[in-house]
Amino acid sequence: MKTKRFLLAGVLVTLVLAGFVSLFASASPDGLESVLLTGCDTAEGEITGGTCVLQAAGDHEIGGAFADYGIAFVDNEILGASLAGVLGVLLTLAVATGLFWLLARGKRTESAGEGA
Amino acid sequence: MSDLALHIPTDVIDGPTSLVAALIAALLIGLCVVRARRGLDERLVPLAGLATAFIFAAQMLNFPIAAGVSGHLLGGALAAALLGPWLGALCVTVVIVIQALLFADGAVTALGLNVANMALIATFCAYGVLVLALKVLPRTRWGLGAAVFAASVVSVVAASAGFVLQFWIGGEEVGQSFGAMAAAILGTHVLVGVGEAVITAGAVTAVALARPDLVHALRGTRLAQNPRTLKEHA
Repeated sequence: MKTKRFLLAGVLVTLVLAGFVSLFASASPDGLESVLLTGCDTAEGEITGGTCVLQAAGDHEIGGAFADYGIAFVDNEILGASLAGVLGVLLTLAVATGLFWLLARGKRTESAGEGA
Repeated sequence: MSDLALHIPTDVIDGPTSLVAALIAALLIGLCVVRARRGLDERLVPLAGLATAFIFAAQMLNFPIAAGVSGHLLGGALAAALLGPWLGALCVTVVIVIQALLFADGAVTALGLNVANMALIATFCAYGVLVLALKVLPRTRWGLGAAVFAASVVSVVAASAGFVLQFWIGGEEVGQSFGAMAAAILGTHVLVGVGEAVITAGAVTAVALARPDLVHALRGTRLAQNPRTLKEHA
């Protein structure tokens, strides 16, 4: 498979995972969160009583428009989650590719400098 | 409490422990930058970007592992298998930083803790197991798949052990004893690790069948051909 086609296929698969498949992901707390919740009673993702480690956890320092993989200003939750996933993938792709490109370019400039 | 929280939140591990973890993580990530640069040619850049985005997406896909408990990919094993440990650790770090800064997932103060567990411990443990396993197993799709499977399980349990250590140093036991909590964390993450292993083995074998040259763990060899050639890589 040509590199371009391989990368394009990869990006498409990734976008479908984040924008669509993620809507069907389990809503249960993950392995870490569920253990930190041991001792507490919960209903619909909120702690309703008991004592557990997670009660000590404060709110996130930043929060922000994309908090909890939604979009604050999009009323439709499903649409918001899907868009947040897609935007997250595109952003991650851009940031990572940009950083790694800078890293690779820095190396080339350096070796060119050594050759001169 | 948030709806989708995947990583260590605020105030679960105390300030001094978080700070020390941040310093250690920063130092080791710096080392990863230096070492990743040596093996990084421009051809690899788009693949590393794609792997990072894939890990971001896959972390959103919580799968059920027991009644009322889910698990999700950490990504260290995938990154290590495709890109090697140095560049791989950087990919997972980028994901964790973006999640903490933009998606309110994983506290900013816990960045060092989360990076230490998922980007450093998971990725390097996965790579260690992968290298050992591929010395014994044949370089066929099944051999590679089995090696990746084992590396994934070990990486996730090791990452969770990182949290247990951090909690032992800087956490406060509430509602259950430290021993019970540690056993629960490690036990749960064996199951999470199996989920991670299924996804990662599938993804890495798919890449290996399409483009074996893009799988770092194969070190330039193709599947089922020239099986025991171990070329030293930079």
